[in-house]
Amino acid sequence: MIVARSVSLRYEDHGREIYACREIDLSVHPGEFLGILGPSGSGKSSLLYLLSGLKTPTEGVIEVDGANLHRRTEVERAQIRLQRFGFVFQSPYLLGYLSALENVLVARPEVDRRREATEMLDRLGLGEKAHRHPHELSGGERQRVCVARALLGSPEVVFADEPTASLDHTNGLAVVELLNAFRGAGSLVMVTHDRSMLNGADRIITISDGQIVGESRGPADS
Amino acid sequence: MTFLARNASKTVPLTLVLILAVLLVFGIVSLINSIPLSIRTIYGAVRFAGFIDPRGDPAEIEKLKKIAETESPVPIQPIFPVRVSSIMVRSLVGKWDFVILAMDAPQVPAYLERVGAADLQGRLPRPGQPEMIISDPIARNLGLKLGDLVLSPDNSEAYSPNPVRVVGILPTQEWIMVADREYYRKHHLPPVDVLVIMTQDPAKQAQFDVWAKERFSGLRARVTSYTEIRKQSDESFEVLYKILNVVIGMLVLVVTIMMGMLMNIYQGQRLQEFALLQALGYTKSTLLRRVLQESALVVVLGWLLGVLVSLGILSILKASLFDPRAFSMHLLDARALAYTLPIPIAIFGAAWLTVWLRFRAFDPVGIVDRRIV
Repeated sequence: MIVARSVSLRYEDHGREIYACREIDLSVHPGEFLGILGPSGSGKSSLLYLLSGLKTPTEGVIEVDGANLHRRTEVERAQIRLQRFGFVFQSPYLLGYLSALENVLVARPEVDRRREATEMLDRLGLGEKAHRHPHELSGGERQRVCVARALLGSPEVVFADEPTASLDHTNGLAVVELLNAFRGAGSLVMVTHDRSMLNGADRIITISDGQIVGESRGPADS
Repeated sequence: MTFLARNASKTVPLTLVLILAVLLVFGIVSLINSIPLSIRTIYGAVRFAGFIDPRGDPAEIEKLKKIAETESPVPIQPIFPVRVSSIMVRSLVGKWDFVILAMDAPQVPAYLERVGAADLQGRLPRPGQPEMIISDPIARNLGLKLGDLVLSPDNSEAYSPNPVRVVGILPTQEWIMVADREYYRKHHLPPVDVLVIMTQDPAKQAQFDVWAKERFSGLRARVTSYTEIRKQSDESFEVLYKILNVVIGMLVLVVTIMMGMLMNIYQGQRLQEFALLQALGYTKSTLLRRVLQESALVVVLGWLLGVLVSLGILSILKASLFDPRAFSMHLLDARALAYTLPIPIAIFGAAWLTVWLRFRAFDPVGIVDRRIV
């Protein structure tokens, strides 16, 4: 379980203090689909990077299984990201010189998961294109490869930062459905500005000006 | 390593620059080294004997001979006189004087045995006749074969009052020209002999040479020995090698800066890759190690290929230009090889520094968080 306690992320811009996140208290429960909703610039991506250990809070604590994440060394935090977390970023970042299958395998380099990666691509409808390179795939296909990469090895938490932003609505919905369907017992934390992408969410928090301004139990309650 | 294999457009130019740099350095140093090597090779036969001449005064000969016979620190063979004249031989940097030894017929077999040139194609010069034996490198250098004229009245670079012909060729790598002393006494000036002194044990010739240099100093005598020739050639090339060091140093610096810039550009193009991998959980040290392994591979590959290409080109040059004229050149010149080593080391150092500086202040989120909408 990931817990944020009074977490803030502050930075200076031309001598002015700006809060990307301010005194946020939040828990990510095992197995849940947590949606983080907010307009552009509201601080939702910053919160996602704080929760995943990619950014260090200026105040407050992020705990993973009860231990302060930022008391750990950089190497230990990297190990946690590599072994327990999965990531889908806004842009479908893939390594151009690797095939789709090799790009998926990048997420778990320590053991041979070729078979699992092949199955994952197959389940995401890319079985035929596993050996194609990114420039031979459409935007939607590339993002599906990113989804496969994030899901490989059944991570405990998948962090998705606006994974539908570079896709049309239909493809975007398909990617979210795939993420939700194949995450297994793992949690899914997804940031978006589009509420319709959070139809499958168990819980949605709304962020504005770096603060949580609302929380609801799934889209039906909102 | 997959990156290198699948990015030939980046790997090949880097490797090519390295190959060219190594080729340039290896080629320059090998060719320059071939000059002192040629000197040592051309005059190499001198190492089998010491030569003392009385600086034009025949009256000094007996005195010098007696000193050598009675005071030599190592046992010597019977001393014998030779007459000398010179001929111009071709070298990589122009024409050089080469000494013809004219000795009495009974001395010739012993001398040839001493220099390891006992086999002979043809025959020895007959007493009093304008005849000469030459070794294979001389034959190649001057384009001579049995029966050809080697000295003639109308050749200022190879003069004798009568036409002198080649009657024997020695199949050895030593540079040797031996004529008949009786013929020289009748037809060549100056009428002064030079003493040839060979130690009984060939391994002690250098010891005798050093002694002779010291003992005959201040007397009307000039000692010619291989030790002295080698020392003079080393001294005369000392300044050239200093200049070479500066040139190679500048070349290494320029190539390193150029390669450093190229690597910086290529690594800059991979920032997105590094950001993604770091965000996924690869540590900076893992990525740094990966990049450095790739750089090391390119550098080692480029250096090895550079050495191989250099050897190939120098082999062609040696076969087509050097060997036909008996010019000397070591193909796998250790000094030339050593001069190429700073290139890969400096380039790897530059690559390491470039990547380290880039990784030091690297924030992966700044790259993966770029907004598209």
